[in-house]
Amino acid sequence: MKSLWAVALLLSCWRADASTAPKISADPPEVSNQTSALLTCNMTGSSLPSKGSYWTHNGQVLDDTKSSNTGLTMSLNLEKITHSTSGKYECVFMTEPEAKATIEVKTLPHVVAYKHSEHGNEKDKGVLVCVSHGYPLPTDWSWAKDGDSPMPIFNGTSEKYEIKSTPNKTTLTINDLNLKDDIGDYICSGTSEVGTTFDKIHLRVRSRLAALWPFLGIVAEVIILVTIIFIYEKRRKPDEITDDDDSGSAPLKSNSNANHKDKNVRQRNSN
Amino acid sequence: MEERHTCTDKSVLDMTNPKPKAESQSDEAEDPDGGWGWVLVGALFVSTSLVFGLMRSLGIFFVEFVQYFDESAHAISWISSTGLAAQQFFSPLGAALCNAYNARVVVMTGGLLAGLGLILASQATRLYHLYLTMGVISGLGWGLVFTPMVATVMAHFTRRRTLALGLAFSSIGLSSFAFNPLFQLLVEKYAWRGALLILGGLSLNIVPCGALIRPRRRSKAPAKVDSETGSSPVSVLRRISSYLELSLLSERPYVTYTLGITLLNVGYFVPYFHLVAHSRHAGFSEYQSAFVMSAAGASDILGRIVSGWFSDLGHFRLIHLLSAWTTLAGVFIMLLPLSSLSGSYSALMVISLLYGFCSGALTSVVFVVVPLIVGVERMMGALGLLQLIESGAGLLGTPLSGFLKDVTGNYVASFIVAGSFLILGTLTMATLPHYFSCTDPPPPPQRSSLDDKHNGLHSELEHMTSSPSSDTNHRV
Repeated sequence: MKSLWAVALLLSCWRADASTAPKISADPPEVSNQTSALLTCNMTGSSLPSKGSYWTHNGQVLDDTKSSNTGLTMSLNLEKITHSTSGKYECVFMTEPEAKATIEVKTLPHVVAYKHSEHGNEKDKGVLVCVSHGYPLPTDWSWAKDGDSPMPIFNGTSEKYEIKSTPNKTTLTINDLNLKDDIGDYICSGTSEVGTTFDKIHLRVRSRLAALWPFLGIVAEVIILVTIIFIYEKRRKPDEITDDDDSGSAPLKSNSNANHKDKNVRQRNSN
Repeated sequence: MEERHTCTDKSVLDMTNPKPKAESQSDEAEDPDGGWGWVLVGALFVSTSLVFGLMRSLGIFFVEFVQYFDESAHAISWISSTGLAAQQFFSPLGAALCNAYNARVVVMTGGLLAGLGLILASQATRLYHLYLTMGVISGLGWGLVFTPMVATVMAHFTRRRTLALGLAFSSIGLSSFAFNPLFQLLVEKYAWRGALLILGGLSLNIVPCGALIRPRRRSKAPAKVDSETGSSPVSVLRRISSYLELSLLSERPYVTYTLGITLLNVGYFVPYFHLVAHSRHAGFSEYQSAFVMSAAGASDILGRIVSGWFSDLGHFRLIHLLSAWTTLAGVFIMLLPLSSLSGSYSALMVISLLYGFCSGALTSVVFVVVPLIVGVERMMGALGLLQLIESGAGLLGTPLSGFLKDVTGNYVASFIVAGSFLILGTLTMATLPHYFSCTDPPPPPQRSSLDDKHNGLHSELEHMTSSPSSDTNHRV
């Protein structure tokens, strides 16, 4: 009997709390694929005082939305919704405890190629990367080779193609590049609940030997230079030898007192 | 007698202080300030640009590596860290080999290794291949090239040393300007493998630079070989230690100077790594921040050349000039965050230009002070050891400033600490003997005799330098 009373008491307390907890109605509850929006939050059904309000975007407080207005309504105007302004917005009323509601602003995924022009070497592997920003991030990525009829590329069907995808990045690795077949445009598409966007990457395949000719040219130039330098020195050597020894520094001179090698002019300082 | 006159009274110094002059004349009597010396300056210009200019522009490849090897930017950045560390670590080795054999062979071998490292890197299939090739092999090559070439050029000049070095080191800034777009072009035309192959070929151009070094000063090798009897482990060790000039580590002036330069290095690189990030932090756009860096780089080049020219005018002692440039650079580093926090772009620009000028100015002078402390004979080994010891500072400085930024939330603390390290370096250098005198002290007596054969040499030296007619004796 007593336990029943206790439970009933607890339940009523809890219900009382719930009934005085502020309700926040957010309007609109969700923004999808719009160019601009006005987010509004209304706090109803609460007698708790509010010290102010602010908005957060993806967890970060928006400093210029902080207001000490104790009103029950707050709004945020998004003039231009792009992938950078999309995300989760929270309106927070500074009550005890804080009351908040979330509005999701969704846009098309912003798919961008890391580099629009890629280069690979013949028989080597080529790596094409696409990244995505915004909210929500794509759930599906797909690759296709562009052409008269775009051919989709699937992961795992052959050793040639490997696709690794995470929500914000996808990588297509093409093994054993072929000079003729693999040159061209590749399309990466990211699909989320809102829609699909894509970007194009142009792949160039270079012959392995392409760099070899300039390299050999430079090596030849180096060899020629070194040869010229040595020949020039041999030509001047007979005149130079006496000068060299003559102009040696003090230790040099004294050393060769003991050592033979430099025949000439030590006499001046020899004892 | 000199103290009665001011430091700028050069003519009086000439007359009343024949001793140092005679010593210096004997040191450089080979090719006093001209002729072949300038050809070597050109060779140093080219090889420095192929070593440091190349190192600084490798960032272009890192973007490719991150993508191709699917590794983090942090792992890729270790490639250049390894290369730089190897260059500094192997510097004493390069110096020792020059003492043992001759500089020409060492530099040419270094050039071959540097090129080989890059050529092998073009065939890499794993990331650690790049560490080994671009990092260790090329780094070893660079270590064998830089210190010997600098020492050789310095040996060919006395009065114009700083100008020669300043002109040669200006290549670092100039080549960074030129290499960045060039490397980008190479990567686009040939993909990174082809571009690395061609870079390897370009690096081979260090070999003809080394070939320009005339074989001279073989005295050290034969002297040492003769003085050591047999090849017992003890004598081998003694020989190696003399090639490496390890005895320098027990001499206070050298150790003091090295310590000062090491402290300098802790703070020196901080602006290079953090200035752009700090400018962005303070609210300037990407282009504004990048432009500030470029401007600092340009004034760096100017600073090197102007400081080189000015130092050789002889109005002030080199050590004083070095202290002045270092202190100024430290002050400007400390002012950098304050100027950008005030929101004024022009203030940031002005301070950055001044900082760039001073930091370039001090690099011209740093190496030239070494022979004044240890003498021209031991300069080679001294430079090698200096490079090795100061490398530790670089390893300390950047992580420290990054740590300070993480802890305090902005870059103000790291810049102030960096600037204070430079000033600390200056204070350390102020404890050098004869710091406050107006004239350079005479360079220390040539290598103390390891064996009796050279005792006679010493008394001869003293006899020669103290006699008034020593000038004519040495001016061959």
